[in-house]
Amino acid sequence: MHSWRLFKDTVDHVSTASGLSIDDTLPLSLSRHGSPPILHLYIFRPSAIVGKYQDIEAALRLDRCRDRGTEYNRRSTGGGTVIMGPKVVALGLGINIDHPGLGKGIGGIFESLSAVLIRALRDLGIKAGFRLKNDLEVDGKKIAGLSATLETEKAILFHASLLVDFDIPLMLDIMNQPPAKLHDRGYSCFSQRITTIQEQLGHDIDMGPVMEVIEKAFSQQFGVSFEKDEPDRWEKESIKSLANTRYTNPDWIFSHKHPRSSMGMGELKTPGGLLEIYLSLAGSTIEHIVITGDFFSTTKDINLLESALKWTSAKREKIAEHLSEVWREDMIHGVDVPTLTEAIVKAKENLVRA
Amino acid sequence: MAIIKGYDMPDGLYYHEEHSWARVEDNRVTVGMDDIFQKEAGDIVFVDLPDEEDEVEQGEVCGKIQSRKWIGKLCAPVSGEIVEINEDLEDDTGLINQDPYGKGWILVIEPSDLENELDNLIHGDTVVDFIEREIKRTEEERAKA
Repeated sequence: MHSWRLFKDTVDHVSTASGLSIDDTLPLSLSRHGSPPILHLYIFRPSAIVGKYQDIEAALRLDRCRDRGTEYNRRSTGGGTVIMGPKVVALGLGINIDHPGLGKGIGGIFESLSAVLIRALRDLGIKAGFRLKNDLEVDGKKIAGLSATLETEKAILFHASLLVDFDIPLMLDIMNQPPAKLHDRGYSCFSQRITTIQEQLGHDIDMGPVMEVIEKAFSQQFGVSFEKDEPDRWEKESIKSLANTRYTNPDWIFSHKHPRSSMGMGELKTPGGLLEIYLSLAGSTIEHIVITGDFFSTTKDINLLESALKWTSAKREKIAEHLSEVWREDMIHGVDVPTLTEAIVKAKENLVRA
Repeated sequence: MAIIKGYDMPDGLYYHEEHSWARVEDNRVTVGMDDIFQKEAGDIVFVDLPDEEDEVEQGEVCGKIQSRKWIGKLCAPVSGEIVEINEDLEDDTGLINQDPYGKGWILVIEPSDLENELDNLIHGDTVVDFIEREIKRTEEERAKA
């Protein structure tokens, strides 16, 4: 049985600079230092971490972050903002793309690694599934977010955040997205879109047992054992260097290599009721969308429609195409794909720079 | 125009195994990402490109491409100096999906060792083998998974 390395810390709450520098070292260690795959399980201090190509000043209310002592930083993998903290498992994995058992291509890689986390959640008694655009969900509500980057010739860094518990009021206070007006609806809007391990179990659970089921799921999925380890001298040098050049460096954190951000809201009266759309774009791509109003539908269906549109083109024909891919009769009573598309386009017409 | 196993792989282009393509015209090489990449990646969200006048080596990562939550790489198919960047991608990265060999071109390189380096790229009859290899590898990995 092959052995992977495990960097695990169930106790300390690490800074974003420390956690992210270690994660970035994982694929480098595989490709340049001959390491086997490394799994890093840990906990961040309360923090907000944006995706590599996000506009941090548009995504976050930095003044509120500073007031609350919430760290902010930029990771090297894609996707949107994640809120980390004492009850969110942070997972970094360095693995070669041709590793046996890992699916081929972008979709295959995400499917394989999602399967591990689904297995881990099943061990806890939670039935989760993979949803479009690389999230894990339980009954249509997001429980984990996944992202990845191909850092070297063959080695990827895979990131996941798994919600054991989640501070929605904190998120509402420090995030700019979705648009501020939605904050009026506050907690209930987001509690319908997010769930946690503790909510599913109906009781509290420590971080240690959650990390153990993740470790076990990787062992079973890939047929490997884990050797508890810590960064060696070469890796410590890399971590130190990355902390300096990236994660404590304003040029990295406030990087301007990102698409322009904009937000808008649109309303449309339909036979099925009022549709309200809150939209955030990154360039010409939908970064975040909330579909709400006084129509009849289910949380699961609305979350499916929102997921189908996230990280896709905001062009009218593309919106209609992506909605059609997941649309079922009567998903929103009295509303069809052209009508929903029209409501989204209305939000797009009202966009303002974030 | 050649459709091979459902992928559009135009004749006359040179392909790098990391899915960038090269079109040679006079002493300029236009570069983009092939149809296999854009179909697999899905909607391209952002392209992080080098600057004009940067020097690149064949096979070097000279850009990053984000689709959904994945960040992949653009490998230079030939060595040389980057002399032009497709500025239209700044407003619409979807061009890479819609028209990967036309409006979705990414950059132009003035090559420094073209004659030798073209031999390292996939071209002509070998394109079919390349695609079949890629598909076979995908199927094997799926079966294993």
